[in-house]
Amino acid sequence: MLSIKNLHANIEGKEILKGINLEVKAGEVHAIMGPNGSGKSSLASVLAGRENYEITEGEVWLDGKNLLDMKPEVRAREGVFLAFQYPVEIPGVSNINFLRTALSEIRIHRNLPPLSAKEFLKMTKEKQALVEFEAKLANRSLNQGFSGGEKKRNEVFQLAMLEPKLSILDETDSGLDIDALRIVSNGINKLRSADNAFVLITHYQRLLEYIVPDFVHVLYNGQIVRSGTKELALELEEKGYDWLKEEFHGNESINKI
Amino acid sequence: MVNQLTTPFYNQLIAEFENAPKGENTNGDLSKSRENAFELFKAKGFPTSKDEDWKFTNLTPFLTDTFSLTTGDTNQQEVKEAITAATIPGLDAWLLVLLNGQIQFDLSVLPEADQLTVLPLESVINTESYKNYITCKEAESNRMYALNTAFFTDGYFLEVPKNVVLDKPVQIIHLYTATENMLFQPRHLIVVNESAKAELIDSAVTLGNAQRVLMNSVTQVTVKENANLIQYVIQDNAAEDRLINYNHITQERNSRYDNFMFNLPGAELIRNNLEVVLNGSATETHLLGLYLVAGHQLTDNHTAIHHRFPHCDSNEIYKGVLLDKGKAVFNGKVFVERPAQKTNAFQQNNNLLLSDKAQVFAKPQLEIFADDVKCSHGCTVGQFDPESLFYLRSRGISEESSRKLLVEAFMFDVTQKIENEAIKDFVQSLIYKRMENSLATII
Repeated sequence: MLSIKNLHANIEGKEILKGINLEVKAGEVHAIMGPNGSGKSSLASVLAGRENYEITEGEVWLDGKNLLDMKPEVRAREGVFLAFQYPVEIPGVSNINFLRTALSEIRIHRNLPPLSAKEFLKMTKEKQALVEFEAKLANRSLNQGFSGGEKKRNEVFQLAMLEPKLSILDETDSGLDIDALRIVSNGINKLRSADNAFVLITHYQRLLEYIVPDFVHVLYNGQIVRSGTKELALELEEKGYDWLKEEFHGNESINKI
Repeated sequence: MVNQLTTPFYNQLIAEFENAPKGENTNGDLSKSRENAFELFKAKGFPTSKDEDWKFTNLTPFLTDTFSLTTGDTNQQEVKEAITAATIPGLDAWLLVLLNGQIQFDLSVLPEADQLTVLPLESVINTESYKNYITCKEAESNRMYALNTAFFTDGYFLEVPKNVVLDKPVQIIHLYTATENMLFQPRHLIVVNESAKAELIDSAVTLGNAQRVLMNSVTQVTVKENANLIQYVIQDNAAEDRLINYNHITQERNSRYDNFMFNLPGAELIRNNLEVVLNGSATETHLLGLYLVAGHQLTDNHTAIHHRFPHCDSNEIYKGVLLDKGKAVFNGKVFVERPAQKTNAFQQNNNLLLSDKAQVFAKPQLEIFADDVKCSHGCTVGQFDPESLFYLRSRGISEESSRKLLVEAFMFDVTQKIENEAIKDFVQSLIYKRMENSLATII
């Protein structure tokens, strides 16, 4: 589904991603871990099309289409969804109007018939129930007055509404208490299918107890330095990142010799 | 700089006044007041950017032409079409049509006389009570006001009798015909009596093919005890129009006054002075404005609220969206005089600049002489928040729709206060229509 080949990206002239290679197939869940500043959120941003990143090298393909050529909205319509680490509050834009606009533009792109107001409302209710998101949405501005946890849960609710192929969750678990973490994880597990895929960016192994990944990758210094299965996450939890950093720098110095 | 005392237009006005036949009946018994006003104008001329209140709005380039004071012929078909075009769809309202300042009863649809008095202003200017309105303390040095006082002949007088709650809003359509450069100086008076309630919507349309139309209008309003008035002003004009308005409101005890000002792209010059005098305690005042400025437009809103009695609340929100080479001026004065304890005065002015070449001059001005008051003001000038824009786009919403949503959100503080749905829909659709082209070009 997603194929990232030797991806390099800069922000303000500084190289952040230094040759990422990643293959994600339909039905899979990949976890990306790594120390602060390793480029995890940058990778998420680049995939979603944030404009302040400059791609200097490499390719990203989504089901045979060149993702890097698409505007952010086209990526979303093609099925990329980024759950934001810090969802934005937009006073004056109503949750419902926002969702309706997004869904209608996506459905046009996917050649699906428009939803009637009634169908839309029904879908909203169903998806809210599915991800256990009880917040009242009518007559409220987008994310305004939502707690940190509610904002994160709204991201998962939007994910449920927009039915993407590839979902990238950027530290969706951060700032959630145990109960909220369980609810969010349950929601994501219910949304998993053989046709979609998830990339979870996280600092903590805890999330991966709830959403069991097929693969775990460690991002360090703009590169994936190690890939493995869920056991790798446990190893990281136990040993931290230092051993990987040392290994990485050791290799670097060997290469130099 | 052009000396405003020697321009052809100035000379023309001086000659016009001085050569007019004098006599009791020509100018009513207001002749003395008119002469005083004229002397002020004659001595000082048009305002220039040296005047503090006109610092950012230089009238000079708008006064280089000469303007006729005599109206030409009117095409009746054009009048009918203009009324249809200006009518707000879906709004159940009474209709008052004026042509070149004169009430057109045959084109108007008005309630019974016991609900609303509608008369040409001429019929009341000779009355004793009108003397209270001819001079205006707050405008005593305002030369545009003085010019209007010296020359005005036409306008409407509206009076809502005591205890009458008008069942429907009154839409007032001002039509002006101009086949050559024209100066119009209408003058209106609105009196909402004790415990009465009314809602008025004002808009002006210029007919004919004139190059330049200058309107210098004055509206005076009294909202008496326990009365309630909502005034909507929709300025959706043609490029050749230059609008200068002075709107003076006096509020008596326990009254409420709401003013909604909507400026749309079009008229090359808009200058509004909105002056509210709180002449009693426990009043409530809401001044809400939306200005959308595009092309080479200059849109200037000056507002002033005079708190003179205790326990009065005023709330002001003006929001501007600037496109192209548009220039906007906002000046919001709030005076809280010593007796006006327990005043709540809130003012907010936000500007969204959507073009590198657009300009905003904003000046909140609070003068507080009482010590037990709550007053606040805030002013911002900004652009689209890139993070909000990216968030919306990342959900599949096109850049154009995202910008539209954000502009809608920006204006929401004001639009949510419009209780009349038909007016709200009409104004919003005008804004989107005007914005569409400009938004498309910045993408």
